[in-house]
Amino acid sequence: MASHTSRSLLSLGRISASGLGLQGPLSRVAYATNVSTRYSAGKTGFPDRAGGKFARRPRRAPGEPRTEKMPVDQDWTAVYPAAAPFRPGSVPLPVRMGYPVKRGVPPEKKGNLELIKIPNFLHLTPAAIKKHCEALKAFCTEWPSALDTDARCDEHFPIKAESTDYVSAGPSVRNPAARAVHLKVKLSSLNLDDHALKKMLKLVGERYCKDTDTLTITTDRCPLRQQNQDHAMYLLTVLYHESWKTEPWEAEKSAADMEEYSWEGSPSQRNLLDTLLRVEGGGEEAREQLLGRREVREYKDSVTRLKNEGESEGAVMRYKEAVKKVLHL
Amino acid sequence: MKRKNFFLFFFIVCPTLLKNMAAPMALRRDIFSLTRILGGISHSVPRALGACSGNKKCHLMRSHLPLASRTSFHTATVFSSQPSSITVTEEPDTLFQKVALLVKGHDKSVLDSYELFSTMAAKELGIAISKVCELPKDTERFTLLKSVHIFKNHRVQYEMRTHYRFIELSHLTGSTARVYLEYVQRNLPEGVAMEVTKTAMEKVPDHILKPMWEEESIDNKLSQ
Repeated sequence: MASHTSRSLLSLGRISASGLGLQGPLSRVAYATNVSTRYSAGKTGFPDRAGGKFARRPRRAPGEPRTEKMPVDQDWTAVYPAAAPFRPGSVPLPVRMGYPVKRGVPPEKKGNLELIKIPNFLHLTPAAIKKHCEALKAFCTEWPSALDTDARCDEHFPIKAESTDYVSAGPSVRNPAARAVHLKVKLSSLNLDDHALKKMLKLVGERYCKDTDTLTITTDRCPLRQQNQDHAMYLLTVLYHESWKTEPWEAEKSAADMEEYSWEGSPSQRNLLDTLLRVEGGGEEAREQLLGRREVREYKDSVTRLKNEGESEGAVMRYKEAVKKVLHL
Repeated sequence: MKRKNFFLFFFIVCPTLLKNMAAPMALRRDIFSLTRILGGISHSVPRALGACSGNKKCHLMRSHLPLASRTSFHTATVFSSQPSSITVTEEPDTLFQKVALLVKGHDKSVLDSYELFSTMAAKELGIAISKVCELPKDTERFTLLKSVHIFKNHRVQYEMRTHYRFIELSHLTGSTARVYLEYVQRNLPEGVAMEVTKTAMEKVPDHILKPMWEEESIDNKLSQ
């Protein structure tokens, strides 16, 4: 009785999952389906070991694969119109894939799991891509011809907003990093005067890159990208308008707060003029006269360059020459 | 130039959609939920791509084709007999100076094929490709114990290799970018390749042209 029910169970298993192949007698309890013995009696039954009572119905022989009948000039886009797994009977190529056995060759394509596992691009042949793009061209728009170079783009559209989209397979399509927005502006393209520019640089701090004259504002504090874009634009607006304002406490700016070294009113100028006046004699009115001299101007340039750009061989040599000329050495 | 919208026959009703929307984002999102009725009413003659290079603000913008028909190979696709219509909308198109694709995968040959596909698609659609390069692969290795219990001296080592491809396109309009990205993302191979797209946009500053303190001082003077 156990064997009878198991036979029926196994027969149903074979009908429902034909790809799995024959199950051995050990897997009697594999299927938990309710089957009446009467139902399975007439179908393809499992041949009993004791006697050939249930002869297996002969299976229909598989026909020749489609590849034999494919013409050479067929429309391949009709064979593989969309992404589909590899079908050895539909692909008329003698492909071999897999690790060869000893003294052998890679296995053929018939029944080859490796070819089915790997993603194929049979649906994306050049002909198919051309067809797709022909249909898609109607929805594309042209780039304005006046903006052909990057320089022109920067001139008319100086603000750049960068954001990233992520596409990957996983339990969720969302990626929290996609909400970050980077806003990049060149400060030379904004309407800023001298004071506003200096104040803007002080407000912005590390977000400004001196080499490329680019201010980068990065926002990701809002949950949505549109909100972050608006926030970045808002920050830029606020920075701009704040930098044009002059607060009363800004008058207390001292020489230590200055961004660049300026020679006028510095101890270097005072010392030089005192030295020259003592050497040549003369009163206060000779100071302006001295400032107009070429050597004094050269000295001023060399000192400013040394302080602003740092010490280098050329700068130090220039300072030496300027000092020698000023002091007539 | 006006923006073009795409209405398909078999999408669900969106009763709140108006013909000329003020908010551009809402209009773009509602593309996918428009009715047959709206499709019939607001069908307009598709405009030819006229030259609009002088006017920087208005650009022709079209929405992308929902590619449900192309990739649903496992379902019986019921196509509509009504042809899809392109509608032009009064809305300036966004401009992308650079669109950078970074494709990641475990199999180099799959990435090779994908690169071929995406570069060919870009060429067919007339998109300028500035750079196509292969970044060096990343290998993540770790060592685990071979046995479930003890045998500390016998370990097994695994590694995961991630290969990269970098494709940079330049000078794309919003419509073109959306069309290309959707096409290329829908045909992304399964699992093996991932895509990270960096999109850089260009905008014109509007309320940052003049400091507002000037107008305030003028207003104060006038009021006095």
